[in-house]
Amino acid sequence: MPSQVFSVSEVKQLLAQGAQLVDVLGADEFERDHLPGAINIPLKQLDNGAVADLDRKRPVLVYCNDFG
Amino acid sequence: MRLETLGFTNVIDYVPGKLAWFEENQPREGKASDETWIGDVADADVPTCGLRERLGDVRARTADWDTCVVVSSERVVLGLLRKAELEGDPNATAEQVMRSGPKTFRPNVTLEELLKSMRDHDIQTNSLVTTGEGKLLGVISRADAEATLAHNGAETAPGI
Repeated sequence: MPSQVFSVSEVKQLLAQGAQLVDVLGADEFERDHLPGAINIPLKQLDNGAVADLDRKRPVLVYCNDFG
Repeated sequence: MRLETLGFTNVIDYVPGKLAWFEENQPREGKASDETWIGDVADADVPTCGLRERLGDVRARTADWDTCVVVSSERVVLGLLRKAELEGDPNATAEQVMRSGPKTFRPNVTLEELLKSMRDHDIQTNSLVTTGEGKLLGVISRADAEATLAHNGAETAPGI
């Protein structure tokens, strides 16, 4: 599986295959808008507790705001 | 800290990110779902034509529209024909008379933002809505923008 994807169709394909979608932006920004089905784990809060609900056996698709 | 250091072995980065997703007119969740984004209401039925089409042929199928968007085979916006161009020489091609590089808006602009821009610049004609890569999604007229916003009850200061 690729470590990076660039297109909407790739995202949809991964989600259809069971990938978990993680938004690493801040909580306020997440509350305003996010991709459907995403869960919010702000990058600064990333630790074992924050990822407790994620399945390590399934792919995790992460995104932030934009390039860079 | 990264997910990989926490034992995740299959981590994939969607590099373009959230803004690019919305600029592709994809669905959203969150408080912004209550807003009207112009991608939600753009009229995708606007007539289009290719560079080499003759105005006479274009005019024959634009019916009541006073706008025709000149697009590539990938539906990327190349130019715009407004009423003045559409009523020109029927033998001229779209490429010869089109307005190149028309102003476009992304679908994740709110209807309020678009209407403000239309008012500030006294735009009465159709505004083009395209993806971040320039693919045509549709158009919004000033009248439709005003009517939709009024219908949504979003305007709190009548007369502005």
